[in-house]
Amino acid sequence: MKNLVVGVADMKLSDDPEVVLVTHSLGSCIGLAIHDPVAKVGGLLHYMLPESSFDKSKAQKNPYMFGDTGIPLLFKGAYGLGAKKGRLRVIVAGASHILDQNGLFNIGKRNHTLLRKMFWKNNVMIDFEDVGGTANRTIKLEVGTGQAWLKTSGTGLRKI
Amino acid sequence: MAKNIRYGAQEDMTEIDKILSEIVTLKPVSHIAHRVIDLCCDPQSSLRELVEVIKYDQSITANLLRVCNSSYFGLMQKIVSVQQAVAYLGLSKVANLVVMGSTAYNFKTAQKGYDLGEGELWQYSVASAIIAQDLAEKKRLGNISLVFTSALLKDIGKLILHTYVKDSFEEINTAVQTRGLSFIEAEKEIIGIDHAGLGAKVAESWNFPPVMVDIIRNHHNPNRAPSDDPNTPIVYLADSICMMIGVGLGADGLAYRYYQEIVNRLEFSSHDLQKTIAAFWEKIKGVQELVNLSGGGR
Repeated sequence: MKNLVVGVADMKLSDDPEVVLVTHSLGSCIGLAIHDPVAKVGGLLHYMLPESSFDKSKAQKNPYMFGDTGIPLLFKGAYGLGAKKGRLRVIVAGASHILDQNGLFNIGKRNHTLLRKMFWKNNVMIDFEDVGGTANRTIKLEVGTGQAWLKTSGTGLRKI
Repeated sequence: MAKNIRYGAQEDMTEIDKILSEIVTLKPVSHIAHRVIDLCCDPQSSLRELVEVIKYDQSITANLLRVCNSSYFGLMQKIVSVQQAVAYLGLSKVANLVVMGSTAYNFKTAQKGYDLGEGELWQYSVASAIIAQDLAEKKRLGNISLVFTSALLKDIGKLILHTYVKDSFEEINTAVQTRGLSFIEAEKEIIGIDHAGLGAKVAESWNFPPVMVDIIRNHHNPNRAPSDDPNTPIVYLADSICMMIGVGLGADGLAYRYYQEIVNRLEFSSHDLQKTIAAFWEKIKGVQELVNLSGGGR
């Protein structure tokens, strides 16, 4: 097995059954993992901010920085490798906030709200979700089996 | 509450005394780095003295030139002298790099109680120092070198406290999860001292300038700083942004308090917050290079 690390504002897709996609240290960012068990295709996106509209030049430079530009590329990329929407397992983690952080400053919540809106509009169901609170999270996804793992602040990896 | 511990035939020590006695296990900063820190914190000083202080120290100069020539700065011309580094980067940034190069060694170790691997705390410290420096520059507030250095060293208390956090992690985590305490409040309640208070004790014992000791002590409680002090709020905000981005986050996660009034005092909008987060991504590779050149990292 080989770990393929997805950095901050980054996305990786794979159909190599030996690959494990992993993203560390999700604070207010969101880690979105998708997997098709038939095509054996997996993808993982780590985005930092909800909407690209506030800085389109940054979105052109790196569309994975934003949810509204990164999420479609994750799904389209997986379809390009043979995944089908109806078979996808969808996992969401992250969107933490600092205690008492509210309103527009709560980037974690805004990241999550954007994702929920996009999923609702496009009929995407979430299979597993662990969001909010003050935790620091890590996600792993085994492309070959679809087995996913979540690590939350101070605890070991657990299967999800 | 702090516990009493009996050490053989010795007199009783409180757990806090025992923790404080471990300050000597950290390697103090060098005389030259100390002088640079003093210069950074003294508004009356001319940082031109800095060049005189460092130019005869081969190790500091070599490290400084290596970092100046890294891709983080992306300078077209190769820097070969301290004077040239000052001409290209300015005195404040050169001072910051000298302090960074002279303090990394303590941060290289893992802090298991905070679930931080080797170099991860250093990565977090460098990232928050760079964000603090950028905030001070953009807002034209505070002392750039002071906020950089303070942000870099603010978590030095974790280097000692992590073993105690490891022993009490379940209790601390339960207090955070069930009673809504911040991580630092839980440290104080359960261990008897928190990493910011302990960091201030380390800074005091190393005779750091009082203004820097205060920033380290108050970096999670900026309300305790005088209302006309812009430096503590800048270090606090940079730390908060770094937690949100998540670079080098530990087991304490984001379990610290957010003070909107402090952010407002800096006239920092939610738009500024998004801009800062997005801008940090552009620097992330360079930050990693600085981390690798000076200390370690994942």
